[in-house]
Amino acid sequence: MKKIYLPIALLALPVLSQAATAATQLEGGFKVGPAIILISMLVLFVAVGIIYRAKDTTDFYAAGRGISRVGSGMAIASNWMSAASFLGMAALMYGAGYHGLAYVVGWTGGYVLLLILMAGQIRKYGKYTAADFIGDRYYSQTLRAVGAIIAILISISYCVGQFGGIGLMFKWVLGVDYTLAVIIGGTVVLAYTLISGMLGATKNMQIQYVIIIISFLIPLFILTFKFDYFWILPQIGYGSVVSDVISGIPLNETNQLYNSLGHDFAIVPSPEFAMPWDSASGQTFFQWVAIAFSLMIGTAGLPHVIQRFYVVPKSRDARWSVVWGLFFICILYWSAPAYAVFGKILSANPEVGKLAKDAIVVYTAQLGNIHPLIVGLLAAGAVSAAFSTVSGLLVAGASAFSHDLYVKVLNPDATPKDQLRFARLGTILMAIIVAAIALANLALIGQLVAVAFSLAGCTIFPLFLLGIWWSGSNKQGAIAGLIAGGLVSLIALSYFVAEKSGIILPFNDFIRYWLGAWYFAWFGAPLAIIVNIIVSKITPETPFEIRKFLVENVHS
Amino acid sequence: MSDSTNGYHISFFKPTTPRARFNRQIVIWLASIWAVAIFGFQILLKIVEKPTPEPAYVTFQNIWAKIENGSSDIAEIQEFGQVSLSVLGKIDITDGEKIVLGNALSWSLYNLTADSAKTALIERIQNFEKIESEIKNISDPEYIQLRNGLTEDLSLVLNLKATDVRTKILPLELSSGNMLSLTEDSRYNLPAIMKKYLVHNQSFLTDSRFLGFPFHYFYTAVFLLILFVGLCWVYCLRADYRDKILGIEE
Repeated sequence: MKKIYLPIALLALPVLSQAATAATQLEGGFKVGPAIILISMLVLFVAVGIIYRAKDTTDFYAAGRGISRVGSGMAIASNWMSAASFLGMAALMYGAGYHGLAYVVGWTGGYVLLLILMAGQIRKYGKYTAADFIGDRYYSQTLRAVGAIIAILISISYCVGQFGGIGLMFKWVLGVDYTLAVIIGGTVVLAYTLISGMLGATKNMQIQYVIIIISFLIPLFILTFKFDYFWILPQIGYGSVVSDVISGIPLNETNQLYNSLGHDFAIVPSPEFAMPWDSASGQTFFQWVAIAFSLMIGTAGLPHVIQRFYVVPKSRDARWSVVWGLFFICILYWSAPAYAVFGKILSANPEVGKLAKDAIVVYTAQLGNIHPLIVGLLAAGAVSAAFSTVSGLLVAGASAFSHDLYVKVLNPDATPKDQLRFARLGTILMAIIVAAIALANLALIGQLVAVAFSLAGCTIFPLFLLGIWWSGSNKQGAIAGLIAGGLVSLIALSYFVAEKSGIILPFNDFIRYWLGAWYFAWFGAPLAIIVNIIVSKITPETPFEIRKFLVENVHS
Repeated sequence: MSDSTNGYHISFFKPTTPRARFNRQIVIWLASIWAVAIFGFQILLKIVEKPTPEPAYVTFQNIWAKIENGSSDIAEIQEFGQVSLSVLGKIDITDGEKIVLGNALSWSLYNLTADSAKTALIERIQNFEKIESEIKNISDPEYIQLRNGLTEDLSLVLNLKATDVRTKILPLELSSGNMLSLTEDSRYNLPAIMKKYLVHNQSFLTDSRFLGFPFHYFYTAVFLLILFVGLCWVYCLRADYRDKILGIEE
């Protein structure tokens, strides 16, 4: 590990000494207190990772299947509550008002689908990874390999947003530029994942959940108390703030409350913040529905989420861990809109300037004049949220690379040592690719993460849904469905990337609206399911052993 | 029909095991509640909504024709400036829209100023812009003095009350290079910008309040999440009950 830490130290030292002279403003400048909190937290994570480090491949992939329901629920929540939840959701609502709630609903409602349609059955199927399930259920090594590649692509896509969040927070704390912040943050999270594997990660995820939720809630209690709203339950108390934003707060009703820059706690009437699909947001009813739907089915198709069900002892535990996980997740999701609405008022004066939306949670706390150490804790919580998700994603991606591609397809005779080496190589490769894409700063964190959901919704979700619930779905149907879902994904993402690169393809407006990069699964997933069904019906039926296994082991 | 005689076929619509049959029933119930609660409500919201203008938009519609053809009186120009400020006070306007609205505001003030004081007004704003671009911190005393002076004087010109939050925005949105005329670009774009930011989709669902929230906002941001946890909880209880009565042990 010395090889990994040395470049970090070499990179960080001159930067820290240079940044220490910068002024303490909303942006820029080295912040001592937050930096100490952040570093202490990272040391804690690495220490826990070392103590509980993976001893063999079973530990690395599935944490020995010895995690309790509540513990697994916490790990699900921590694994789930990424930078997109911690930073991105408030950013989306700050920028697009009610439209942002499509993400809140999508990222929580999907768990209902996941639970009632899949969770218990996935555990009963008894595989380690999503690709394992696909390969076995559809009796195809090719599909296993394709499933592994898709899992890697989804993990990369999901990680890009997380690296963006890590970069923003490291930038804020260290006062360095975004590029350097992404490199430093990415290196640290990579080192941590390599040390700990899934066992360390699962233990860490429970600690991380506590840090995430405490760091997120404390500033919110303070904000609602300071600005004279119902602070005992800020998740309800912020409702009056929403109404105040709609009707506006005139200067004679500010109760002499100010933001940290001395501006009155006042705002012009801004109904566009809360009114549905407001023209000011530039978003429509269709887009709201498409995003919510795509995120929901994407949730039920994300490899790293599905993989969490392998780490509980029984399918009953898998089910209850979802309930706990969703409850823990909702605590944060009930709270996130409050940051957006407080941020709206506190940054209403033009002197505040345009703030980076993805950091609005931290800026809101700063503008609310909350103690710098608590703001530092908030930023550390954001990093923790990103870390817990990235580590899970990198493990899922590495599992796909090593277990599903290398061992199951390329080298069945590989020793466990080789396997672990390839898992670590896969982790490093993924981290490098993710960091390179994150540096391009393509979109908001929440939007980048939503791409992964649509990709999962178009590819993995149909395979799992039909694979579990219809014995008639066969290899040919799965391949055809995967091609259909993959094509829709390819079209949507090609148009997105082309537009970001300044290239306008034919029918750009049409495709970008109906197959937007954050919600193309609304079309791709149903299409993949229909194609899968049609092709399965006209091709040889699923082998007897698979059908028998489904009936006797999964549904009995 | 037993599983072995039907060749071990199973599907959601033809569940061949007791467990799958039980699952199908509960999935149908819960998924229906889930879908209606999420999408049914949004569809209802869409059906009952009506484009509702803010008072500022009504004012704009009443005065725009006169502003455009140059027949507006002082009170109407004041209202025009006020409306422009109402939109400038919103955070999410684009840079292009900001230029158009800044032109509308600056032009209003220029027109409301006596001819003899017009040059002095421009110089004063130019001076403020210069200081604004030079300072590193908004607590700079000279900057604050100039800003507050402009706020005080120009609020009177626009007939803004001291308690009006728009007074705080006023000096920050002025543009000395954009005062003399209402540009063609502004004339063309202003109606669309005003409509975009001052007309909202409202209904009884958005106008009624619950626990301080607009009802629709509470429903989507708070209640739906409670419902999701509740649905999952009910499912787990039912699944445990199913395992118990079917004698399933893992």
